Amino acid sequence: MAVPTMAGVVAFLNPLRQKSQGGQFMRLASLDAIPEDGTPLKVSVIADRTDAWSRFPRESIGAVFLSRTAGQPGGKVTALQVICPHAGCSINFDTSGRKYFCPCHAASFDLAGIRTDATSPSPRNMDSLEVEVRDKNEVWVKFQTFGVGTAKKVAQA
Amino acid sequence: MKALVSWFNDRTGFCDWCGRLAESPVSGRACCCKVVPCVIALLFCVQAITGFFLWVYYSPSAQTAWESVYFLQNEVIGGWLLRAIHHYSAHVLLAVLIVAVLQSILTRAYRAPRELVFWATLGLGLLALAAVLTGDLLSWDQNGYAATKTRTGFLPLLPYVGDSLLKIAIGGPGPALGSLSLTRFFAMHVGLFGGGFLLLLILRGILARRASARTVAAGGESGCCGGSGTAVPYWPAQAWRGAVACLVVLGVVALLACQHGVRPPQAGAPLLSPADTNPLNAYDAARPEWFLVGVYEFSHLFPGEWAIIPIFIVPGLLVCVVLAMPFVGKHPIGQGFNVLFTVLLLAAIVGLTYYSYAKDRADPVHQKAIAVERWQAERVGELIRHNDGIPPAGALSLLRTDAKAEGRRLFAQQCSSCHNHALQGDKVDVVQNMSIEKPSSPNLFDFASRRWIAGLLDPKHIRGPQYFGNTKLRNGEMPKFVKETLGDLDAELKGKLEKVVMALSAEAQLPSQKRLDVKDAKAIAEGRKIMVDDFNCTGCHKFHKDGSLGSAPDLTGYGSTEWIEGIIRNPAHGRYYGKLNDRMPAYGGSNNPAQDALSPEQIRLLAEWLRGEWYEEEMMKDE
Repeated sequence: MAVPTMAGVVAFLNPLRQKSQGGQFMRLASLDAIPEDGTPLKVSVIADRTDAWSRFPRESIGAVFLSRTAGQPGGKVTALQVICPHAGCSINFDTSGRKYFCPCHAASFDLAGIRTDATSPSPRNMDSLEVEVRDKNEVWVKFQTFGVGTAKKVAQA
Repeated sequence: MKALVSWFNDRTGFCDWCGRLAESPVSGRACCCKVVPCVIALLFCVQAITGFFLWVYYSPSAQTAWESVYFLQNEVIGGWLLRAIHHYSAHVLLAVLIVAVLQSILTRAYRAPRELVFWATLGLGLLALAAVLTGDLLSWDQNGYAATKTRTGFLPLLPYVGDSLLKIAIGGPGPALGSLSLTRFFAMHVGLFGGGFLLLLILRGILARRASARTVAAGGESGCCGGSGTAVPYWPAQAWRGAVACLVVLGVVALLACQHGVRPPQAGAPLLSPADTNPLNAYDAARPEWFLVGVYEFSHLFPGEWAIIPIFIVPGLLVCVVLAMPFVGKHPIGQGFNVLFTVLLLAAIVGLTYYSYAKDRADPVHQKAIAVERWQAERVGELIRHNDGIPPAGALSLLRTDAKAEGRRLFAQQCSSCHNHALQGDKVDVVQNMSIEKPSSPNLFDFASRRWIAGLLDPKHIRGPQYFGNTKLRNGEMPKFVKETLGDLDAELKGKLEKVVMALSAEAQLPSQKRLDVKDAKAIAEGRKIMVDDFNCTGCHKFHKDGSLGSAPDLTGYGSTEWIEGIIRNPAHGRYYGKLNDRMPAYGGSNNPAQDALSPEQIRLLAEWLRGEWYEEEMMKDE
């Protein structure tokens, strides 16, 4: 009895060995494409995606909000994960309110990704990602996913 | 026959067992309050039977799960009914189990010697809950996917084991769910929770019979109708009450199953559009099932750092309190506490649930997200019928290559923060309309149509928010020209302007104006001449052979698919606005296609969507 049970349990626990994709710098957009007035641009992160036995070449594996500090030509580029740190829903940008808004539990964030609500359902601000502008006009971002629901930002392994 | 029965009974003891069952004592007298276990058994049988036949059709993988459910729902005769019965009777079963636990608490049925029966009932409730939650994902539609992703997303809140639990639950590192999540959820749904329910149900039956016999022997009573020390056999008085209750419950299930009519695709349990694992396309209107809405709203009372309290700690403690009720109930004031606790808890859950539903009903953003998703679910059905089936890549690939759905989505994502796409007035299409309060760019609804161009050439509108009002072109040459030249026109010039509108709009060859363009061919030809000779459009614009590029957009093919694709690719190109381009980024056409914000296919879908150029089911029927 022990042998088949063990074999089954070991196979069942196999997902523990798997690591999530990401963690590398990727070129996401050109600097020109990001509006100068601070409005964020939502860009897809394109990479080969693996799901169990299937491999999907060049598919969207995530998304990032890219924005520039308003009123500063060539201003600093901010990259924010679209995944809400609360429960992992997808954050939208509310263009009339000029803020980020999560439709699941109504968390809202300002243009810098900071929580606007004292009792925000989100345990932390939106997850910022490392940005590098290469060749003056190419925006590269270290794409990572973080654990949700915790005050601490922990990159998913 | 009799001999055969006796032969069978001799070897199996089946008839004797049935007899003993029929005569098993019911303490007190037969009563309607004792039908609940019978109903639970019936509903489980319904689940097992419908579940088996669903299994026959189901294929758990990210490319086939939704597709196999769609096939069952729409192509298999009675498939929708099978799904609907399984879906709604599961919810009814959960409700009946909640009633069973409440009944045990309120009537003190958990007291000795029935503690284990009470715990078993509670266990059945938790297993049913787990089965419903895992079953939710299996149809792999937008709602089930989003809800499951949120629910499993809470697992990492648990210290130490959370991250590992998440990986084990969804069969991968996340955050996206995939084929392995489906196979796991399916195995847990059927094997672990379904099978576990059956075992626990049998165990509960054995325990309940034993407890019942003990109660009768001890001269005790139970429930609302206990007589001291009396007992009646199960058959027939209690049995027919159970049968009637089962019929009533089946009637309720049938009503629920047919609430959306009896014709697929709407009939039966809802099936939204296929799940999209791309976080860009997440379903915005996902909400928990009715029995979790209370917890969902409760969790909003806590700041995010403390999410573990409403999600795990408080529900865990509540279950512990309920588990301890048989012991607490022994104390003189214990029963009072138990009842009070239960009533308050129930009131809180009902209140929070009502509040949450009322809030969502009054939220226009949420309602719009629901409307968009419903529309998308209908659209995918149209596309499947049009395609005569689903391609191997799955139904989602149809949706992502459809101008009406994907063009709309791309516009919402890439364009709607500056451009509106909205018709003012009563004929507003909630799904296709996208508007913000302060658009910075022209409204592109019906772009290049006669109505749109007539507005552009109207001095009253060209500087308004629908056209160039909020752009730097507001003070440019074109509004000046329109104001000075087209301001006060006599009847003759007005007629000429009308022809110019027709001619310029005809460049687009819009599908919606196909007949008009043919009918007005003569006026259009005259309009083209007027543009060059009378209005001197070609002084700034290029128009076929006349004029030149460089100072204003090319009017040749204005609004055609090719023209729109070009301006999306690069609005600052000499053929379009050149140096006059105001803020609009280039979406494609760079040297490295991998670096473009939109692929050539996406740009084409966007252009086609703006032109209203897509497959339409109704039109096919008319022709």
